[in-house]
Amino acid sequence: MTALALRDRGQAIGLGAVLPLTIIVAWQVAGMAFGGVRLPLPSKIVAAAATMIASGDLPLAIVQSLGRVFGGFVIAALIAIPLGLAMGTARAVERNVDPVVETFRPIAAIAILPLAILWFGTGTSAAVMIVAYAAFFPIVVNTVAGAKDVNPTLLQAASTMGLSRLATMRTVIVPAALPSILVGLRIALGVGWTAIVAAELAVGAKAGGGGSGGIGQMMFVFYAYSIELNRIIVCMIAVGIVALVLDRALRAAMRALMPWSR
Amino acid sequence: MKGSTRSGSGGALVYLRTMAVFALVWTGVAWWTDNSILLPTPLAVAQAAIDLAKSLELFEHAAISLGRMVVSITIASAIAIPLGLAMGLSTRLERIVDPTIEILRPISGIAWIPLALFIFGIGNTLPVFIMTYAAFFPIVVGTVGGVRAVDRRLIDAARTMGVPQRTIVTRVVVPAALPSLLVALRLGVALSWTAVVAAELIGAPSGLGYAVEWYRELLATPQVMSFIAMIGVIGYLCDAFVRELNRRFTPWMPATR
Repeated sequence: MTALALRDRGQAIGLGAVLPLTIIVAWQVAGMAFGGVRLPLPSKIVAAAATMIASGDLPLAIVQSLGRVFGGFVIAALIAIPLGLAMGTARAVERNVDPVVETFRPIAAIAILPLAILWFGTGTSAAVMIVAYAAFFPIVVNTVAGAKDVNPTLLQAASTMGLSRLATMRTVIVPAALPSILVGLRIALGVGWTAIVAAELAVGAKAGGGGSGGIGQMMFVFYAYSIELNRIIVCMIAVGIVALVLDRALRAAMRALMPWSR
Repeated sequence: MKGSTRSGSGGALVYLRTMAVFALVWTGVAWWTDNSILLPTPLAVAQAAIDLAKSLELFEHAAISLGRMVVSITIASAIAIPLGLAMGLSTRLERIVDPTIEILRPISGIAWIPLALFIFGIGNTLPVFIMTYAAFFPIVVGTVGGVRAVDRRLIDAARTMGVPQRTIVTRVVVPAALPSLLVALRLGVALSWTAVVAAELIGAPSGLGYAVEWYRELLATPQVMSFIAMIGVIGYLCDAFVRELNRRFTPWMPATR
């Protein structure tokens, strides 16, 4: 049975590899046959990736962007989790704060970018603010949902046993809301990563390449100044890989922390 | 579902009260900073919005962006829904196509902007391409998920009664997959609306994103804020529209917020 399952799995992987490989080979062959010098080719992309990784430029840019994402992410979490817990447990807080949250939620983080540049300049702080704004909404919405979803029997039990509000929060509400909070954090990290690329791209485009670093900025420089399409594609692939790794890492962390929530 | 915060008789009142407090705090901070470029008062922003609305500039840019989104969602749906249906119905096809989708999906639409700028140049095609790309993935994934969740017995029953394959798809699979499809559509609309702003900010000669950036360069902050608000309003209205579609076509599903 295992052998059969294994063969089935191998077959699935084999089938799945057909399309990407066909595209890559066709691209390479067609490009070598008809393409100009500028046309990106899979072989050139691999070579460009090797140079960029060996020179340390690409890892540095990724680390720079990731640092901003984590900075904004932490700021967002520090505001959104307490706020979400307060909104989820106290009806009065929710009634009064929810309108502001719901008013700003449909405004995309990237739309705020011009304001962020105006207030914080074209450096790291503007980018961090964009990420914080983008990450705030998924965290707060999921925290509220998690805090509201606590089993009422548990809450009654806690109050019967004379637990203080703070103790109830710490021992009942937070643990019960944790799975939902972590889902919010995972979404927020993904949104933040998308936002940082957009922010760095736009800052690069609007500040005339005046360096703020990061992967988005790097892509813009390759587009606007050196016109190296192979390198732009390397950056795009890197953006995708980082997004995937962040998502998988948080999923794994969730499973490890809370095996009961699935 | 638990009652929405805004329902009930006092809902609108609470909303207005909260926003009034917000506007007061904003006015206070604006007076304190005393710099109309950094932070204009709410009144100045409202005045700018009224002027922009009177000159129809606000609506022109909004119509352009909205038009691009409608085109993008139409293209994305026209490709993603049939593909998703086919992938959901045929395991073999899913195994062939799915890995390619999963490889491309983590690359956000926004990361395509520099390459797309090079290929399409500045104009209408760039934002439409970016938005179509952004909307494609949630729609295809949602459609596949919806088809997969269809009760097998319904399909088997139809087959037993000799219903042809085509009719099974249109009469059994599509209706059963509809709720999931509409949720996916909602996500696609939200993602593409986010992407349009980024795409227009960088590479379009018109639209809301372009207008925001244009007025930022003129340091006309009240106008910038008016356009940002318009982005939010249209984003909200689009979401409300798709939610209404959900309610109309799948009234048996619990309301989604």
